Amino acid sequence: MGEAFDYKKQILEPIKSMRSAPAEEMYLPGHRTCAGCGPALNYRLTAKAAGKDTIFIGPTGCMYVANSSYLCTPYAVSWIHAQITNGGAVASGIEAAYKILARKKKYTGAFPNVIVMAGDGGSVDIGLQAMSAMMYRGHDILFICYDNEAYANTGIQTSPTTPYGANTTFTPPGKAIPEGKTLFPKDPPQLVIGGHPAVKYVATTCISYPVDLMNKVRKALNVNGPTFLHMLAPCPKGWKFDEKLTREMGRLAVDTGMWSLYEWENGVYKYSHIPKQYKPVGEYMKFQGRFSHLKAEHIAKMQAFVDEKIQRVKAIAVEAAIPTPKARA
Amino acid sequence: MAQERMLSGCAAAAQGAKLAEVEVICSYPIRPYTAIMMELARMVANGELDAEFIHGEGEHAQVSVVLGASAAGARAYTGSSGVGVTYAFEVYSPAAGGRYPLQMAIADRTLDPPGDFGSEHTDAMSARDQGWLMGWAATPQEVLDNTLINFRVGEDPAIMLPQFVCQDGYFLSHIPDKVIVPELSQVREFLPPYKAPHPLSTECPVSHGPQIRPDQGAPMDAQRAATFLEVPRVIERAVADYNRIFGRNYDPYLEKYKMEDAEVAYFIQGAHANTCKAAINRLRSKGLKAGMVRPRWVRPWPTQQIAEAFAKVKAVASVETSTSYGGAMRGGNLVHELRASLYDLERRPLVTSFMAGLGGDVILLEDFEYMAKILTQMVQEKKTRQHVYWIGFEE
Repeated sequence: MGEAFDYKKQILEPIKSMRSAPAEEMYLPGHRTCAGCGPALNYRLTAKAAGKDTIFIGPTGCMYVANSSYLCTPYAVSWIHAQITNGGAVASGIEAAYKILARKKKYTGAFPNVIVMAGDGGSVDIGLQAMSAMMYRGHDILFICYDNEAYANTGIQTSPTTPYGANTTFTPPGKAIPEGKTLFPKDPPQLVIGGHPAVKYVATTCISYPVDLMNKVRKALNVNGPTFLHMLAPCPKGWKFDEKLTREMGRLAVDTGMWSLYEWENGVYKYSHIPKQYKPVGEYMKFQGRFSHLKAEHIAKMQAFVDEKIQRVKAIAVEAAIPTPKARA
Repeated sequence: MAQERMLSGCAAAAQGAKLAEVEVICSYPIRPYTAIMMELARMVANGELDAEFIHGEGEHAQVSVVLGASAAGARAYTGSSGVGVTYAFEVYSPAAGGRYPLQMAIADRTLDPPGDFGSEHTDAMSARDQGWLMGWAATPQEVLDNTLINFRVGEDPAIMLPQFVCQDGYFLSHIPDKVIVPELSQVREFLPPYKAPHPLSTECPVSHGPQIRPDQGAPMDAQRAATFLEVPRVIERAVADYNRIFGRNYDPYLEKYKMEDAEVAYFIQGAHANTCKAAINRLRSKGLKAGMVRPRWVRPWPTQQIAEAFAKVKAVASVETSTSYGGAMRGGNLVHELRASLYDLERRPLVTSFMAGLGGDVILLEDFEYMAKILTQMVQEKKTRQHVYWIGFEE
């Protein structure tokens, strides 16, 4: 019944440069995020790339609390709050509703871009089950994890993506535990790729590379089926860096190998930006108060962790398939 | 033509959902309600029903999926039992607060531990304060009818609330009885298509569920409370239409059995009421003027109608099929609200409660006779000796 029906999938064209990006904003000013907020930029760029035929599902997190305070929201497209637990499930219901309503001709417009904008907790911690089931079932939904590497909204508690060594309010460094967080983080895209055969497109990106980010959003939305984007979202409050350095933090994350920009499409990896010479991780960590308590041996441990990741990157051929603007020093 | 068929409570619920032309269904297996979903899965598979049938990854997801579907403008249906009902708990208040008129069938099951398949109303009763409509059927026919009546009431533009449509596990969910299955054309006359007032849409962007300030909380609560004051009017109209179109004879709120001249009476919800009625026939043949009141709704609670029904009765037995450990009456739940409903009567009847039908236990004719003995004793002594009696555990 459902399979033969044409749901009128829209195709979004690639964006060549910032200048040619749509002027229209779908995420408007007036929200209450912190100065220098990475996730707010994620939202703005994602909404801009997705355009007006979009429905956002926003599980609880910073992007719920700071965006929708006091009955005001910054969205120029439809948006619904979901619990931090159930973004994938609420989105599944929305997508299913549009399918049946279109099939019954109760809805005749463009099939909406259904996008879950979840934090790291709402994606790979308490929200993991709902996200995984949505992907398993093959819903036509883009699930985005905007990763600021902590439960920032509740006062910077550790999440499964908080890096090793970070000082959070649940991993304070002390005499007995000098490094703060002792565990190494989960790898969200690998969780998705590893166990969800219905997912054909996964990519990582970061607000410091806005054209890369917008094109990955568009590419994901053009896929008919579940897709996943992992977006690094530097958080001045949680990471304790100067709020004017948000963009710089994203660039340093890529330059040191703490983060990498890649696509995974039908089983094939493509890296959209690989530094010629990786900087030591200390160059990234030194700007962030969450790492300021660490001793040389801890930083070495982090470097070893990152070196291993870099080895995996180097084993895969580079293909800069997505236009990326030149770095401005 | 309407058809008479032999259907269990689960099969009747599935027929009701099919006749309501539900558009998004979300399933997860747990006994005993799961038979509803098996039936709906079969209907979707063979083309009897055009709906999106989604395999939820748990009950929490089930309610989340139908919440999303309802927010996007589809008529949505799910269900559960026992610990499944409690696993979904987080999503009940967003469903009611967001005013999504989805429906959840509940076939009661005892909560863990220990694992017990038997019926007990504690699972659903635990969710009665989440802002949903809620009520129990006593026969498979009433299950089917309540499915349709609840969609009609819940989707009324003045109401917009989700509904728990409850039935006893096994006693009702798995025992077939004669059910008149109405024609789809009749149902369409009774139940218009669902029209969400503010669906998530690309044409008219809306925001659902933003945060509020503490001082914005109370006005919203008051608004929801006011909605519940509107529900009775809508129920009365829906039940009157239902009776007219389908030839039924439901009282909107209460089933009253031999209450005209009753001196002692039972207050009981769900399918055990059928045994209760048989017990009343026996007691009357022995000369005791007994009667029964069965509420068809727990939310909204029919306070006024209950007070009127018991105004001339001398003693009432609240038969509890759920637990509220440590509560005011040290036993069940119903009795608290029953007593509160009777408080303003000029001549209040004596009220006690009986813990029965717990863990899937049957309530025997003899148990109802034992309750009658206690009620008679209360009438003679003009007092309530105990607030609660545990059937089978008393001296």
